[in-house]
Amino acid sequence: MKKKSAALLVVGLLAATLPFWAADQYQLHLAALIAAFWILIGGLNLVVGYTGQLSIGHVGLLAVGAYTFAILAGPEEVHPALAVLASGGLCGLFGLLLGLPSLRLPGFYFAMATMAVALIVGEFIMANGDLTGGGIGLAVPSFPAPFDSPAGFYYLVLGLAALVTWCTWNVARRMWGRGLIAIRDNPVTAQAVGVPVFRAKLKVFVFSGITAGVAGAVFASLQSYITPDTFVFELSLFFFVCIIIGGRGSIVGPLIGTMILTALPELVAPLAKLGNFFYGLLLLVVVLLVPEGIGRVFEVIAERLRPRRIESIPVRPDLDRLTRALQRPR
Amino acid sequence: MWSVLVSGLATGALFAATALVYNVMFSTSKVLSITTGHIAMLGGVFGAWFITALGLPWIVGLVGALVVGAAFGWLTDVLAIRRVLARSDEHLWLLSTLALATMVQQAVGLWWGTEPKPFPRLIPQDFGAGITDQKFWLPIVVAVAMALGLELFYRRTMYGKLFLAMSEDAFAARARGVPTDRIRAVSYVIAGALGALAGFAAGQLTFAYFALGLTLTLNGFIALAVGGLGSNVGALIGGAALGLLNAFSSYFVGGEFQQTISVGLLMLVLLLKPEGLLGSKNTRPV
Repeated sequence: MKKKSAALLVVGLLAATLPFWAADQYQLHLAALIAAFWILIGGLNLVVGYTGQLSIGHVGLLAVGAYTFAILAGPEEVHPALAVLASGGLCGLFGLLLGLPSLRLPGFYFAMATMAVALIVGEFIMANGDLTGGGIGLAVPSFPAPFDSPAGFYYLVLGLAALVTWCTWNVARRMWGRGLIAIRDNPVTAQAVGVPVFRAKLKVFVFSGITAGVAGAVFASLQSYITPDTFVFELSLFFFVCIIIGGRGSIVGPLIGTMILTALPELVAPLAKLGNFFYGLLLLVVVLLVPEGIGRVFEVIAERLRPRRIESIPVRPDLDRLTRALQRPR
Repeated sequence: MWSVLVSGLATGALFAATALVYNVMFSTSKVLSITTGHIAMLGGVFGAWFITALGLPWIVGLVGALVVGAAFGWLTDVLAIRRVLARSDEHLWLLSTLALATMVQQAVGLWWGTEPKPFPRLIPQDFGAGITDQKFWLPIVVAVAMALGLELFYRRTMYGKLFLAMSEDAFAARARGVPTDRIRAVSYVIAGALGALAGFAAGQLTFAYFALGLTLTLNGFIALAVGGLGSNVGALIGGAALGLLNAFSSYFVGGEFQQTISVGLLMLVLLLKPEGLLGSKNTRPV
């Protein structure tokens, strides 16, 4: 436990001081991108990793959040902070409207419904050109001072990401999280022991909608220009791979997955060309070989190196007592 | 108006054919594979490649496309289904088929290009043929023939009966000595060939386009869910209904909201009759 909190402290310090030791602006941009993605993935993790609802359409919610922010903070000249709140609220409402019918459906139907939403949002953006700029896209304003510099913006996104992490951690470690895991592992049993299955799923889904909206707002501001092509369906796959590779039912795993997978194609150029093919391959390999997540690999290796000693408690038969019991007169 | 009707029926036939492919795979494995639409996409792309780029006669191109589709079907079973079903976690096949589908789509996108390319004319015919154009009636004929052929296959052949036995109860079939793994592989190969046939026949309608797969996966699934999971006649009806709805809504409302309307149909049917028009009722999970 001590080791864990020490590691957490070190990572927190490194993240907080990043603007002072980052080599260039690009690394800072990358770190902000990771944090922005994590805002969404942290919320989605509760839905996918804990509750086991495979939502493959969160990119649609991200797009709604991004466009809401771009329209409100741009042409409508609303204060960016309010626009972020509006993005989160609207996406939460959207999540509620989407979740009400679709969360009642079994696994594959739910996945298809969320995928359809991702496609519908894209269609809607293209259809309402006068509002969203259509295929040309929209310029997104940046935040006012002190968040207008790369370092300031990085702190803003980092703070939001930390907030989301704290929220999900609070949910995950209490009774709520246990209930969600029970729903994932066996919904019938969960219902039998009194977990309000549908309501729990809906609440978590709405929460993930809110985080997706906030993530969309900061993501759009980070990109500074958004088009419908920014929100391709494959981005959903990327979110998914981050969670699955980190391991379901964990927060640290997906966080590490997000960091590595966001940074990897940027640092290794050939991977960027393959792009989504690489994510697909990664997902397939993880699902086939280690469905518990990459963390499981390290556990197995650690077990090989240092086998856990299993204490054997020998049970000696108490023969005297047995004889007496058998010889007792009936 | 007639042209709207016919083009709606033609798209609907493609959706219905995709739904039939879903059914074939579902019968033996209880898996709804996300790669279903991509099989049809492969049929269209490889058909166009064989005929246009390699200059082969169309019958050879058709056989080639069928072989590619069948090979991909087999690959789906080997890579994405076999190991996952052995683990008996019901969500994992969704992820593995999604991963495979993405890989295929991206690979085709890198190799073939991301622009839709024209599909060659199969039968010499004037381009001004209007509603009797082959691009409309080819998919319709193929979809109906596929449904009839599958019905005959299920009723008259030993393999078809084994499929039915496995769709009723795979464990019982295994206990009776049915080699369930091999039958499943055969069903995936057949599904691959049928999907490629559908994509090939509808190639002139959809063009050879790498991103077709995902749309087809969704719309084929909607046709299937509307008609009822497991029912071939239901798949035809659902596909035709969806195609007609799409065509008439884009005629009257405009083409921007096609997906929205399709999904609206899906939600409506699921709310009113969750098992679909001709599906069998789901039992409770306990």
